[in-house]
Amino acid sequence: MTIPGFIVKNALRNKRRAALCVLSVAASLFLLVSLLVVLNEFTNPPEDVGASLRIAVRNKVSLATPLPVRQRPLIAKIPGVEAITALSFFGGKYKGEENTMFAQFAMDPEQLELVFGEAKLPREQLEAWIANRTSCIIGVDTAKRYNVKIGDKFQLIGQIYPVDLDLTVVGIYKGTTDDRNVFFHQKLLDELTGDLGQVGMWWIKARSPEEVPGVIDRINAAFTNTSAEVLAETERAFQLSFVSMWANIKVLISSICSVVVFALILVSASTMSMAIRERMRELSVLKALGFRRHELFAFILAESFGLAAVGFLLGAGGAWLLYSSVNAPTLTGGMFPTLDVTPRILAFSALVAAVLGVVSSLAPALAVTRMSVVDGLKTLD
Amino acid sequence: MFSLFKYHLRSVLVRWRSTLATILGLALVIAVFILVQSLAAGIEKSSSNTGDPRNLLVTRQGALAETTSVITRDQFNIIRYLPGVARDATNQPIASGDVLIIINLPRNNGTGNANVMVRGIAPTGRALRPQASLVEGRWFAPGKREAVASRRLAGRMANLQVGQTFKTGGVELTVVGIFDGQRSAFDSELWIDADEARSAFDRPDYSSLLLRPESDEALLQLKKHLEGERRLKVKAVREVDYYKEQTRTAGPIKWLGNGLAIVMSIGALFAAMNTLYASVGARTREIGTLRVLGFRRRSILLGFLLEGAMLSGIGGILGCLLALPMHGYSTGTLGWETFTEVVFDFQITPLLAAKGIAFAIIVGLIGSFLPALRAARLPVISSLKAA
Amino acid sequence: MTAAPIVQIRALTKIFLQGEINVTALDSIDLSIESGEFLTLMGPSGSGKSTLLHIIAGIDRPTRGECIVQDRNIAALNESDLADWRNQNVGFVFQTFNLIPVLTAYENVELPLLLTQLSGKERRHLVTTALEMVGLDDRMKHLPKQLSGGQEQRVAIARALVTDPKLVVADEPTGNLDSHSANEVLDILRTLSRDAGKTVIMVTHDPKAAAYGSRTIHLEKGELVPN
Ligand SMILES: Nc1ncnc2c1ncn2[C@@H]1O[C@H](COP(=O)(O)OP(=O)(O)O)[C@@H](O)[C@H]1O
Ligand SMILES: [Mg+2]
Repeated sequence: MTIPGFIVKNALRNKRRAALCVLSVAASLFLLVSLLVVLNEFTNPPEDVGASLRIAVRNKVSLATPLPVRQRPLIAKIPGVEAITALSFFGGKYKGEENTMFAQFAMDPEQLELVFGEAKLPREQLEAWIANRTSCIIGVDTAKRYNVKIGDKFQLIGQIYPVDLDLTVVGIYKGTTDDRNVFFHQKLLDELTGDLGQVGMWWIKARSPEEVPGVIDRINAAFTNTSAEVLAETERAFQLSFVSMWANIKVLISSICSVVVFALILVSASTMSMAIRERMRELSVLKALGFRRHELFAFILAESFGLAAVGFLLGAGGAWLLYSSVNAPTLTGGMFPTLDVTPRILAFSALVAAVLGVVSSLAPALAVTRMSVVDGLKTLD
Repeated sequence: MFSLFKYHLRSVLVRWRSTLATILGLALVIAVFILVQSLAAGIEKSSSNTGDPRNLLVTRQGALAETTSVITRDQFNIIRYLPGVARDATNQPIASGDVLIIINLPRNNGTGNANVMVRGIAPTGRALRPQASLVEGRWFAPGKREAVASRRLAGRMANLQVGQTFKTGGVELTVVGIFDGQRSAFDSELWIDADEARSAFDRPDYSSLLLRPESDEALLQLKKHLEGERRLKVKAVREVDYYKEQTRTAGPIKWLGNGLAIVMSIGALFAAMNTLYASVGARTREIGTLRVLGFRRRSILLGFLLEGAMLSGIGGILGCLLALPMHGYSTGTLGWETFTEVVFDFQITPLLAAKGIAFAIIVGLIGSFLPALRAARLPVISSLKAA
Repeated sequence: MTAAPIVQIRALTKIFLQGEINVTALDSIDLSIESGEFLTLMGPSGSGKSTLLHIIAGIDRPTRGECIVQDRNIAALNESDLADWRNQNVGFVFQTFNLIPVLTAYENVELPLLLTQLSGKERRHLVTTALEMVGLDDRMKHLPKQLSGGQEQRVAIARALVTDPKLVVADEPTGNLDSHSANEVLDILRTLSRDAGKTVIMVTHDPKAAAYGSRTIHLEKGELVPN
């Protein structure tokens, strides 16, 4: 028999105990990974390919206050601006649904390729969209979720706007970070609401990344002290400002994470050291046979590390498998487009597992140091 | 049974180290469960605590919340002169058109900006909402760019203390007073003069209309009349009912709390099972002795279940105690209906605490069932021989 | 004492399955024990003494044959009835005392009474009497680890007596005791059969201990050895 063989045999002596240890570690690490994934989705919204060139312009009062149409030609003239589109959040309910989790926007179809170039849409579908004022294009995830095909009707009940939309799907796009959104004509929205001369936001594409800061400054300056002051920012900054509104949720999840980690270490460490305490007798036999103290430490450490490692593989690995195979929007009711178990998350949970391994071997290791051979042999008598 | 209980209690205390770890672990699970649920309870409480049952709130049909509703001046004038609306001393109808604007303001702790709900409100509107009482400074004067903030909001956002000014869009507002909304939804609002709001934010129309019917029958009749009137396209609900509906934000939080509690308790369950199995293993001989003395399998099973329930009950109580200091602590989150910051308190209700303890005991019973069964099934003779 | 014998054993056989092989621990034993006897059971280790005692006390079942105690074939009782029967009719004394370590002497003795309907006051009376009988009424609040071996065994005897059973069985009760404590324990057992009318069955290795009994039988390889 080899030393590792001895350790494995020892660890599996009480199979139920070992299994319960591993399972409690696995459950806790699964939870930890899940929380970190959600936290990551809150803090780091995925970045689009074209994001570095895009600028979002909203009313300085808040996102809920519209912008006047007359700003468009003024912005278009600003040096460094390559393209501009209106983008109005419609915020409607898909017919018959209580909670609609995909977003709908009114925009200028001609600008789609220029501003949101990463959206892959066949040319003839794009042309059909531009040509038909009451048509829309939908993301492939939404098309799949509701089983909608080209040519189908698509009805949206307005909640922010007092109008309902009766659209025809003419295109299905993919390739953006959130292939759930639905886009339709800004002109249609204007028409239905009685030409108020307002849009929700402007989205702009700059000519080059170097010009982005300058363009932002010029846009902000162009409307200071007008009745509709604007706030222009990069797409990233805009998304992060969204995220910052969730600040408390982030704090909540992070504090839960720490409690989970703490509870995990507490409970698992105690069970694991209990498992090892049960072996005090063997350990003292080993001592009597001439094994030295540090060799016994190594046994203990190897065992608790082994248990923690198997728990990590089951829990974190299980979470990874689960989240990479399920459809995230379906699972979260559309709250998150993706659930990414990033290498950083895996590394962090591996670290927690390792700490667990060390902490749970502390108590038994200490006991071994103090134990005399005779006492040890008596422990279980 | 009392002394058998004593036996289990003392046995548990003998193995205090692993017992303590199990109890503490479970306590943390329960504390998390209670805290998350108390957030949902806080939101629900602030919603259910808002408004006056005698008031009728009129919004646009289809609007999810006051913030996305529009009531035109024409609608306003038609509705407030309808029969059944109460009149004040000067024979004016008691009805108030409010303007709701969402503005983006920085938080005072540097964690970025938040959307804040601004309510443009007329003196009648204030009279209809006596819940909001001034606690500092004075109310805004008509025609002045002045604002009064709720105390809780002022505690969370920058520049909302009396005397401070803040800019939004092209408008500069001075805070002249602080009100207390008494844990209602008004605690998340900033109030300014209605006409000022309409001119400063360029709003020709009102957002909502709050009125006081003459009586409860008049209220029901008005509601029927307004909703039956096709041309008006408005929805009329009791003010209290409107706010009771505004709890969508609580939904996902409850969901989160339950999910967390379930996964965490699975981890705790395995740990508790381990502790109890160890305890049964170490007491094999005692169990054999009890059986020789004439105790039935059922009593042994019950005894260990009791032990599990006792441990987890203590864990549950401890969890409540751990969560308790957060009771009443004011916090905020992004409200789903209005897309603005809603401010509310952690509410650890007795029901919630009871739920937490019950949850803990269920975990304990499930966790102790298999070990208890094992204890009850131990053959008498071989357990007597156990080391 | 002309009544029927308290224990009647006929053709009693007990076979244990040890892996593949059968071990015959008791081989067709016939034995009857009169009420009030102090029977001592001797024999080499592994001869089946404990097995016989376990069957008489109703904590094990015979493979064949019958064991009638107080006119009842105890092998025919189901698990729960057997548990009740043990509680009411037998007191068991172990070689290793088997006191519950977390309970005091008083509570250990009280334990079997928890299965009865007796009131707290009645229980207190019975427990005190039993402890007085073994001379430990001054040690009621002590935990087992605060008692000497002999005292522990006396507490165990008190526990066996407290339900006032007709039958007291003891498996090598003096095996773990020094000779002084052993004599104390044996004295108590003898008093039980002589003055209190109990039937006592005791397994022992020690001829001196066996001398306390009114009759001694010998077991060897699962069979009774005729005197
Ligand atoms: N549970 C058991 N399983 C298998 N064999 C047993 C069991 N109990 C006792 N035996 C066997 O039965 C025989 C008698 O045992 P026992 O009655 O304990 O002897 P004694 O008490 O006289 O020393 C022995 O050979 C022993 O190995
Ligand atoms: Mg024996």
